[in-house]
Amino acid sequence: MKVLLLTVVSLIPLAAAERDMARELDEVARAATVMVDGDVCQRIVTPRAIDYMFKKDPRDPWVDGDNYEVNDPAFIAVKKTLIRLSHLAPFPCDVNLWMPIAGHPDKIRVVIRNVNEMSQFWPWGKLYQDMIPQMKQVLETGRRIAVAEKPGWVSVLAPVHNSLDDTVALVEVVSQTRLDAHENVK
Amino acid sequence: MSLSTNARALVLAFGLTAGVPLAAQNAGIELLATPEYLRPDPFGGIVAPDKSGSDKVAPDKIGSDKIAPGHIGAGGFSSTLHLEGARGGYVSFHLIVKMSQPGPYTLSLNFDRDRGKLQADLFREWFHFTESDKQYYPDALIPITLPYHSRLAEPDNRIAAQTAQAFWVDLWIPADAEPITYAAQAVLEAGGQRSAVHIELKVLPAVIPDDDVMLMDHNSYGTSWLADDYPSISKKLGAGFFQSDEFFRLIHAYHRIFFEHRGIFHQLGYGHAGKVGPEFAPALGGSGRTRHITDWNLYDRHYGPLFDGSAFAGTRRGAQPIPFVYLPVNPEWPAAFLNWGEPGYEAEFVNVMAEMDRHFRDKGWTRTRFEVFFNHKKRYMGFPWDGDEVRFPTDNRYFLEYGRLLKKALPPDTPVKFVFRADTSWDMEQQFRDLAGVVNMWVASRDILSWLPRAPAMLRERGDVIWFYSGPPAVTQPASTITQFPVEGWMWGVGGFVHWLTVGAGSDPWFHFDGGGTALVYSGDRFGIAGPIPSVRLKIQRNAVQELALLASFSKRKPVDELRKEAARLYNHTAPADWWNLRPAFADEPTYNWSGTALDAAAKPAMSHLEHIDPAAWVRVRQYVMRLAAEEPLRK
Repeated sequence: MKVLLLTVVSLIPLAAAERDMARELDEVARAATVMVDGDVCQRIVTPRAIDYMFKKDPRDPWVDGDNYEVNDPAFIAVKKTLIRLSHLAPFPCDVNLWMPIAGHPDKIRVVIRNVNEMSQFWPWGKLYQDMIPQMKQVLETGRRIAVAEKPGWVSVLAPVHNSLDDTVALVEVVSQTRLDAHENVK
Repeated sequence: MSLSTNARALVLAFGLTAGVPLAAQNAGIELLATPEYLRPDPFGGIVAPDKSGSDKVAPDKIGSDKIAPGHIGAGGFSSTLHLEGARGGYVSFHLIVKMSQPGPYTLSLNFDRDRGKLQADLFREWFHFTESDKQYYPDALIPITLPYHSRLAEPDNRIAAQTAQAFWVDLWIPADAEPITYAAQAVLEAGGQRSAVHIELKVLPAVIPDDDVMLMDHNSYGTSWLADDYPSISKKLGAGFFQSDEFFRLIHAYHRIFFEHRGIFHQLGYGHAGKVGPEFAPALGGSGRTRHITDWNLYDRHYGPLFDGSAFAGTRRGAQPIPFVYLPVNPEWPAAFLNWGEPGYEAEFVNVMAEMDRHFRDKGWTRTRFEVFFNHKKRYMGFPWDGDEVRFPTDNRYFLEYGRLLKKALPPDTPVKFVFRADTSWDMEQQFRDLAGVVNMWVASRDILSWLPRAPAMLRERGDVIWFYSGPPAVTQPASTITQFPVEGWMWGVGGFVHWLTVGAGSDPWFHFDGGGTALVYSGDRFGIAGPIPSVRLKIQRNAVQELALLASFSKRKPVDELRKEAARLYNHTAPADWWNLRPAFADEPTYNWSGTALDAAAKPAMSHLEHIDPAAWVRVRQYVMRLAAEEPLRK
């Protein structure tokens, strides 16, 4: 299996606490690649919602979000898996699901977020955003990558495969050395 | 400067009936007054929206008030005020210090004879430089004590060419004040010269009811903004800020300022993926059948004084519990979403909700309505259904399931008032039908409710609460614009209105203002005040709300339809039917096929009557209210 060929990545110089955190997050990420079902992920967001995601109407600035919909059985199944994975870490962490968008190789979207509302990459409220170079790398190479661009934050990105062994999504396993109990309570 | 027709009407309505006799003017300094709806600018004029709004209205459209141009001061300013007001309420106006040369001045206000129980509150008006039109608008109100000593240009406002400083004056008339005419003088002294505004206030026997016919709600999200808005406190306390007494005092101060302005304050305590701020919920432990509340400390420090009313001790409205509050309930609290659809979810939800019921009952917190409310939207990727503004009707099944869980958790005879609230838009009609008996508090989209004229009465009759929502008008709109929400709600027969965000004044409201479309109060931090300070718009809203309560109270002797008809005519020259829209044909289609543009178009006819509220709109209604009030018998 491709997952067995992956190597634990430590690309960046980290402080001791962050290094320990990165190691724990990497374990979770490695498990996520095994446990998250890419076929189910592909069924979460409806084709209609993806179509509307790119519609722009100056008279209706919320047309994209107002038409965002998901298949809830698929969403719930994957979200529960992500939550279980997050419980592998001995500290609060979130496992977020990200997916590329067919026909828009320069874009990426978060599909499922979790209870600590942590992400190193999501600008709050965005349905999609410019492709994150590290995410592109994960999708192209199938290798896990640790990212610590924001001080005190560590994310490990890991690929998610479907039954055709295509890399169809990735997880962001993320935590902070100092949790902010009030951020994103909105 | 010429005075517009409606400005003249305003001046007359407020009794600014004496001009500024040239002989009496001191060269270089003047103290003048304007009605609350004519906001001064820092250069001796009136801000453009409060003039231009009136200039667009033809003279024959201003109602029945007679205009006597010879009795008005230049540009809406005057040196003599003849005011009247009912007891248990406020009468307000602007005072303007004008000085042609920079220099120090002193402002004072003294009652000529016995002031009785009247009280005067004065505030310096901050002139915000607004980025959108590069103009100055007064809005934030900084409390001052009299005599007030300062100088022009006002040093901290940093307007180099400033020649005028405005002050907001609230005259508070207690319910037990003697209904007589009181006299006072506001006096400006500068450079050895003196200028005065003479104020006469006729107190009417009528008493404004304590309870409002429109409950004005001011919404907010979380508490992280408090650390940003109060750096002098949060930096001092560091990591301990969010658990400090100072932090909870700040929260209570926000509740207090809105309460004092005849409104309420809501703070949502969780995010779109279910993260709960620790001060918004009791701490939980265990999982599945063992899930339970482990610690009430932060929750009780936050809410205890709000639920027993002690947070409002010493206010003019008296200590009383807040009438509504959000609970922290969301798909991740108190039950873990991991267990959704399984027996563990039900066990966790039912156990904790039952514990909350017992705690509230033990504490005697039985006068507040505790709202189970789902704010999340699927577009924020936390959960697979919309709790807020359902668009896809299949999402309603989640509400039914939570209704079932609540029924299981709460004893049918509990004295604690739990309500299930839904903020509803697209799917409103279907939700009203399908969720009857489950959801019993509705906060409705203004646009869609506008074509459902029978809905408010239908909901009230089955015991539901019905409010509607929009947001504060920016300072760049006419000052009277904010009065439209209480008037509209009363016309519609709904009980409350939600300003969706009222504490977000932007990163620099003082010198680079975004207009205040999400703020009705400001942080007092830069003025050394550990709490919020009010705005001109909040004061104007309060005055309209109190007068609306008085107007509605006259339904004891006049049919309410007659009161509404006359109020509509005076407010914007409409009939009550003009406040409703026709139900559009697309409303019969599935809601997920509707478009935002079609929705806007469907709401436009009624909204068009509210697009340009002239500065005298509420003044005309107020005159009507005062006429009726003058007919009220004296109650001791």
